[in-house]
Amino acid sequence: MKFYVCIKQVPDVDAPIQIKDGNLIQDTDRMILNAYDASAVEEALVLTEEDDDSEVEVVLVGPDKAQETIRKALAMGADKATHIKTNGDENFDSGTYARILAKFFEDKEYDVISCGKQSQDTDAGLTGGMLAQHLDLPYATNAVGLELEDGNLIVKRQGDSGQEVIALPQPCLVTCSNDMNEPRIPSLKGIMQSKRKPMESVELEDLGLDESALQPKTEVTGYMEKPGREPGQKFEGEPDELAEKVAHLLDEEENVV
Amino acid sequence: MSTLLTHIAISDGKIKRSSLEVLSHLRQQAEANGHDTEAVIIDQNASQYVDQVKEYGPSTIYTIEDPIFENHRNTPLLKALGQVMDEADPHVFAFGSTESTKDILGALAARQDAAVLSDVSEFELTDEGIKARRPVMAAKILSDSVAKGDKILVSVRSGSYDLDESSADSEVVNLDFSIDESDIKATLRDIIGADSDKIDLSEAETIVAAGRGAKDDEGQELINELASVLNAGIGASRALTEAGVMDPSLQIGQTGKVVSPQLYIAVGISGAIQHVAGMANSKVIVAINKDPDAPIFDIADYGIVGDLYKVLPPFIEELKKIKS
Amino acid sequence: MDEKFDCIIVGGGIAGLAAAMILARNNMKFLLIEKGEFAGSKNVSGGVLWGHDLARLVPGYWEEEDGGWERFINHRRLTFMDEQSTFSIDFKSSHFNETPYSGVVVLRSKFDRWLAGKVQEEIDQSDHAMESFIATNIKVDEVLMENDKAVGIRTGDEEFHADSVILAEGVNNLLTRQVGLQDDYVPADHMLTGIKEVIRYDQKVLEDRFQLNGLSGMSNEFVGYSTDGVEGGGFLYTNRDTISLGLVAGIKDMREKEKSPHDILNTFKGHPVIQDTIKGGEVVEYSAHVVSSGDKRVMPKELYKDGVLLCGESANLLMNAGKAIQGMDLAMRSGILGAETIVKAKERGDFSSQTMKEYRQALDESYVMQDINNFQDAVHMLHSPEMFKDVPNLICDFGRKFFTIDNEPTKKSREMMSESIKEHSSYWDLIKIGFKGAKSL
Ligand SMILES: Cc1cc2nc3c(=O)[nH]c(=O)nc-3n(C[C@H](O)[C@H](O)[C@H](O)COP(=O)(O)OP(=O)(O)OC[C@H]3O[C@@H](n4cnc5c(N)ncnc54)[C@H](O)[C@@H]3O)c2cc1C
Ligand SMILES: Cc1cc2nc3c(=O)[nH]c(=O)nc-3n(C[C@H](O)[C@H](O)[C@H](O)COP(=O)(O)OP(=O)(O)OC[C@H]3O[C@@H](n4cnc5c(N)ncnc54)[C@H](O)[C@@H]3O)c2cc1C
Ligand SMILES: Nc1ncnc2c1ncn2[C@@H]1O[C@H](COP(=O)(O)O)[C@@H](O)[C@H]1O
Repeated sequence: MKFYVCIKQVPDVDAPIQIKDGNLIQDTDRMILNAYDASAVEEALVLTEEDDDSEVEVVLVGPDKAQETIRKALAMGADKATHIKTNGDENFDSGTYARILAKFFEDKEYDVISCGKQSQDTDAGLTGGMLAQHLDLPYATNAVGLELEDGNLIVKRQGDSGQEVIALPQPCLVTCSNDMNEPRIPSLKGIMQSKRKPMESVELEDLGLDESALQPKTEVTGYMEKPGREPGQKFEGEPDELAEKVAHLLDEEENVV
Repeated sequence: MSTLLTHIAISDGKIKRSSLEVLSHLRQQAEANGHDTEAVIIDQNASQYVDQVKEYGPSTIYTIEDPIFENHRNTPLLKALGQVMDEADPHVFAFGSTESTKDILGALAARQDAAVLSDVSEFELTDEGIKARRPVMAAKILSDSVAKGDKILVSVRSGSYDLDESSADSEVVNLDFSIDESDIKATLRDIIGADSDKIDLSEAETIVAAGRGAKDDEGQELINELASVLNAGIGASRALTEAGVMDPSLQIGQTGKVVSPQLYIAVGISGAIQHVAGMANSKVIVAINKDPDAPIFDIADYGIVGDLYKVLPPFIEELKKIKS
Repeated sequence: MDEKFDCIIVGGGIAGLAAAMILARNNMKFLLIEKGEFAGSKNVSGGVLWGHDLARLVPGYWEEEDGGWERFINHRRLTFMDEQSTFSIDFKSSHFNETPYSGVVVLRSKFDRWLAGKVQEEIDQSDHAMESFIATNIKVDEVLMENDKAVGIRTGDEEFHADSVILAEGVNNLLTRQVGLQDDYVPADHMLTGIKEVIRYDQKVLEDRFQLNGLSGMSNEFVGYSTDGVEGGGFLYTNRDTISLGLVAGIKDMREKEKSPHDILNTFKGHPVIQDTIKGGEVVEYSAHVVSSGDKRVMPKELYKDGVLLCGESANLLMNAGKAIQGMDLAMRSGILGAETIVKAKERGDFSSQTMKEYRQALDESYVMQDINNFQDAVHMLHSPEMFKDVPNLICDFGRKFFTIDNEPTKKSREMMSESIKEHSSYWDLIKIGFKGAKSL
């Protein structure tokens, strides 16, 4: 069976950030594999573990620098990769990435395409659904568990009030939450093998997309600090007294109990 | 004059408050810019909610009523939404941000070739489309975005706007709906853990949230007791949902729910940015943690440094006294 | 896939990366293993990398617009402080503007990552582009030994073999101990704790406040009240738009005086002069790390044995003779010399002590061991209570008298000096210090 996992390189949200004149400046260029995609890769590896004929391929749209992220997925155990190359200075939004990926998948054969449920940095959560629509695939988002059952992908997705169990006939698309597993940390052997695994590079121009398809419909115009919360009060001391004090503050000062 | 359409989401037999928040805001935007406000209800009992929606003053309310909408399923919902968009031709179509909307927003945008901004905390109309503010980088900072074009979808975080009633004698348009079962390739087999009595975290006034510090039975008992005294919803950090101690639907944060209650009590939670991303907009935050350097204290209005097993019992007692 | 490497380097700090650069340049097949998420992710450093070795590793590094370094030092200041005052010796010279710079300030998480990128580029151009690796997020658990010769490493349940191992694991040198080059018990008495805050400003504000021009920078060391009576010293270095402010303090002395590094740093920051210097900034990072004292008594018994070499702080190579902390430059030079020895060993096909000892010789002949040997007395003196208490007090007291004009008959400075000396120290002690100082520097 053939699994494709769409992976994205994102800035590490744990790294220090700074805003200057409305632009985002990251102290270091710390870029990582989107955590949700790492879960998607992990799950694909687990699901195909038993089956020797199966193949997990990762696809990434991004600049040269993003190859380190592809290597990471290969080091985890993915079999091969396609790198669709961009300059990195385009202002692509989820819609553009979805159209690029759709074009790539147009002539591919696959059983399952999986995506992360959202990008860790933008939390957009749109690409997966868009891609499913372009490819006219049955899909489910926010999966917290996956299982294979002849010809079907059984998705447990976190819905508004409970977990919905959905059977998707293959080929299908799913977006993964990081709540479904703990992605493996590549072993040294994995890291070493990753260098020799096939990685195909495709120039974005060679995909044959119309210029208009590359035009994003949304645009980020600037960044700003969050309005800070007023500094609060921190109490240390006897638990009994603190408990009493804070309970009364909530009642009398804040009126929230 | 263009149409500003709001989707009214129904969950567990109730209108989601976030939908009404969005409708309130959109109506104000429409009034300020000379546009028309409309709403759509898609549910197995859609007509049942019409009166309540009228209180928020849309000129037209579309309803699509069909048993297929008993539970959330993306294929029929997308079809219905597409049908409404064809009918109403909205310039802006706004949603409250829920798991169900997140499930269809991308696909709907692709289907309608519309611009889309998800999970915004503020937005307004401009000459070209909309301008919106979104928390990004695990809600560490905000970004401003614009969406251009004549078709724009936007979903809005719950708690972003106040409810604002302004009753109108809305016109009600019932749309016929039909879909071939064979067109629905995905089968919904089961729904686990749906519990309609639970307090909906995204709408709760008070939330008691437990973290790894309150992992054991005794901790859980104290959390339950505190929540019951305050009539609060119970939430959790990922440490607890991951460990299977608490139901995954209770997770608050970047992966889980975004909440904005009046009072948020974080018990034994360190305050990782991914957790804070989901609760930083609470009005009053109380943190109980034994580590004085825990990052949660940086955002708490009231921080109690101490062992939760020693702090909670007298805290609960005192609150009981206050309540009675 | 059991292939043998020429060398496995443990640790992706300065020493390990320097060694890797030399190995890559000499077409060696090697593996560098770093336990942090990326090179630099676990590294703390106040930050001046002294000397010219960086130019050997990355020729023309100063031309890179956004290289891994922050600023070059052309302004140095040594400050004595008592509770209220500071008395500084200040030296600035355009001579220091010439490249290669003689000191650059670095922030390690950025610098190490950048240097690792440069090493990767070198690997990509080497004969072993596909067989040499920098692997991060992997912790080496054990050095594999056969007949007391290092033959590889183990991480988890994976083993990897190599003709040689370079241990560049830093001050917390567990593997150095495991291979038997250092006793398991190293007295903490000779160790220090370093702590550091990175404080951010608007870049313009920073440049105006410290009179920085372009990418020029200042280094300031502090002696005296900066460590609140504990042995050690403080530092302030300017980065692009932040400063690194911190101190190193003796672990034993802190324990005896019941002080924590955190408290001492707060005292330092609360000093009226420091308050003025750092006001308006926002603390964006805080970190703490053990540092060697530079005391030869804690150095490993030897720096090599069959198949293995120690580089950088895993060999406790560090110098702090009062005018600067030198750890990174020693790490870099020792990494270079270590790797050069491995290259020789490969040529000869002999990785035994016979070749490895040439590393020791090279190090002995270089400034590294010469300075460590020559300045031992200064190191000891610096750790004597007179140095971080009496002397700064005396100097500041004198300064206060000297610079006060109060409409009273002014005494001659000689007289002022002797008054200060009486108050803070005896003549005899001062003569001792002067004598020791003259001898040690
Ligand atoms: C992409 C991504 C998405 C994520 N999404 C989420 C999310 O949606 N929600 C979320 O919560 N996390 C999320 N996380 C995980 C997050 O980073 C943290 O790991 C998690 O929030 C930690 O949970 P915690 O605070 O309960 O546990 P810990 O960080 O382990 O903290 C436990 C705290 O309890 C305190 N404590 C222990 N015992 C006691 C006691 N007896 N009395 C008082 N205090 C005590 C400790 O001092 C400590 O501060 C995400 C991570 C990633 C990478
Ligand atoms: C606060 C402070 C300020 C300082 N200021 C200065 C200064 O201004 N100038 C200066 O020259 N020096 C300074 N130093 C000293 C300097 O930082 C060190 O001497 C220098 O970092 C030593 O380099 P190294 O490569 O030997 O070790 P490190 O930089 O410590 O690198 C060791 C690396 O090995 C890795 N590692 C360890 N064990 C394993 C394992 N088992 N498996 C895999 N990886 C492992 C670690 O993660 C680490 O990345 C300062 C130190 C401190 C703490
Ligand atoms: N540039 C890209 N290359 C590959 N996959 C991508 C890319 N951008 C988004 N995706 C996929 O879409 C998900 C995130 O969607 P979104 O939140 O809309 O950015 C990621 O988890 C990936 O699976």
